[in-house]
Amino acid sequence: MALIDLKGINKTYDNGQPLHVLKGIDLSIGRGEFVSIMGASGSGKSTLLNILGILDNYDSGSYHLDGTLIKDLTEKQAADYRNRMIGFIFQSFNLIGFKTAVENVELPLYYQGVARKKRHDLAMEYLDKMGLTAWAHHFPNEMSGGQKQRVAIARALITRPRIILADEPTGALDSKTSVEVMGLLKQLNKEDGITIIVVTHEGGVANETDKIIHIKDGMIGEIEENTRHDAWGGSIIK
Amino acid sequence: MRELFHEIGSTLRQNKLRTALTGLAVSWGIFLLITLLGAGNGLMNSLRGNMDQYVSQSISVEGWRTSKPYAGYKENRRIQLDQRDLDYTNGTQWKGTIGNVISATASSSVKLMLEGRYADGWLQGQMPFQQEQDKLQMAAGRFLNDQDIREQRKVMVVSMAHANILSPGNPKALIGRWINAGQIAFRVVGIYHTNEQDFRRSCPIPYSTYKKIYDRSDKVETITFTVDGLNSLEEHEAFQEEYVGTLRRMHDVAPDDKRGIWVMNGYTENLQMNEAAGMLSTALWILGMLTLISGIVGVSNIMLITVKERTREFGIRKAIGAKPGNILSLIITESVVITALFGYLGMLMGMLACQLLDKTVGQRGVNIGFETIHMMVNPSVDVNTALNATLLLIVAGTFAGMVPAWKAARVKPIEALRAE
Repeated sequence: MALIDLKGINKTYDNGQPLHVLKGIDLSIGRGEFVSIMGASGSGKSTLLNILGILDNYDSGSYHLDGTLIKDLTEKQAADYRNRMIGFIFQSFNLIGFKTAVENVELPLYYQGVARKKRHDLAMEYLDKMGLTAWAHHFPNEMSGGQKQRVAIARALITRPRIILADEPTGALDSKTSVEVMGLLKQLNKEDGITIIVVTHEGGVANETDKIIHIKDGMIGEIEENTRHDAWGGSIIK
Repeated sequence: MRELFHEIGSTLRQNKLRTALTGLAVSWGIFLLITLLGAGNGLMNSLRGNMDQYVSQSISVEGWRTSKPYAGYKENRRIQLDQRDLDYTNGTQWKGTIGNVISATASSSVKLMLEGRYADGWLQGQMPFQQEQDKLQMAAGRFLNDQDIREQRKVMVVSMAHANILSPGNPKALIGRWINAGQIAFRVVGIYHTNEQDFRRSCPIPYSTYKKIYDRSDKVETITFTVDGLNSLEEHEAFQEEYVGTLRRMHDVAPDDKRGIWVMNGYTENLQMNEAAGMLSTALWILGMLTLISGIVGVSNIMLITVKERTREFGIRKAIGAKPGNILSLIITESVVITALFGYLGMLMGMLACQLLDKTVGQRGVNIGFETIHMMVNPSVDVNTALNATLLLIVAGTFAGMVPAWKAARVKPIEALRAE
């Protein structure tokens, strides 16, 4: 079975007027893939990402993550699965402002109950991997956007999750930094074999991934193989 | 646990001003509670201390005036206790219940004279145990003893105030001197302490001597005795009913006339005092708690705002694996830490205020004519109260944190993260 297996996922929001956001999504993503989900705003890509990230539930269908059926979980179970199986990277970094870089990276392990010393050592190791050793004890507002996103990536990686979900990871970055961050994700995928799913509406970003899944009006459209990275003229520049 | 405190420490440090303001309300509440309780204790201690001079664990009876007509007599008749009452009290039927009949007094006013100096006195025929009863401290010499009673000696104990008048400059030289009390000379055997404002003028002489010289009748002013084996209010009331009831019959006082024979029971007085103290303390606790509640509402209010401000943070925490319980305990512990920390500070300040009360009001005496009373004696709270207050703080902190914590725990990560 694939790492991620979605079958007939339906999701309707009901805010006064029912809004059918996802209309029967079938999708499977294998271990070690580097995939992007592309679509215009309102296409349902954020909802899909939330379901993949166990931040939201779905109405019908089934979602298996690494063989585990993710359905009707209690909040506690959902928190536990998120903590152990999924690493998040957000557009706006979502670091905690009053914690230093290393404390931010440690946080997922804190919720796993890992001892302070071990947690700290591991966090320093991941920050080192991101080239941020010197910034370990700085607060987020003392760092550049690229640095913040690298701290966030370290935080996403520290629990050794099954997948990394990146929601517009370059959305708040300039083009030069965007290239760096995408390069970093690519490197993590190639060298460490980490499965990464990037949600974006930017063709240039999607082009860095190996497979582009187009989503339109709540349905999966074309799935492009992009191992040659030439789908959008080979450029990340916006 | 240590981890949790570390987490909280960083958020509290982050919002120093807010933390301080929140804490101030709690500090104030606890400060008032402790100060009120301390002052209340001081007041009760003073009341007890002032009463102590008159009351011990004994019963006194004295003749008074009737308040209703009975057996052919009109009301407002003066009742005079006499030898019959004393014999009845000493009677075999009370063996085992009435212990020592420790005093029987009779008195009259007298002019003391020595070498042309005069002082007014109040001659009292007393028994040796009266010293303990009145808590007299001897400044020189001794009090009356059994031999004085047996031999009907003409000896007298005077107050320091008398001694100062009769023997100015060297009051203690009065010991052993014979002074005239009216027509009769007594030898001074002891001087008891009085402070400057104290106008006690009693001059105890042996009861037997008094009766022989001044009062050939068998009149008795006060009968005081100790009781044994009465251990509850009910037993005391039953005894009093029977004993005083008999006295009333003997003097033709109506059975339900409380004023004909006046009774002072140290035990029941003490019980009533304790009851009053309990009520005062309860009232003060309630007042203090009400003040504290406003502090707690303050904490709760500010925590609610804090939670709203930190919605995004909780969203992040949940996204990376915080369970609702983690968030709940984070906020509640934060609330408890704030309340406990500042509450403790308030408690210390309250104790300091009690010390201050002791140094000011506690040292000031009020002269009420024949002696000095203190408004407050040792105003303070005991360890038990402090422990209770601490417990109360922790409970209060938990309550204050409950609603905000519940709100925080219910934050949905997607919604929190969406809020830019």
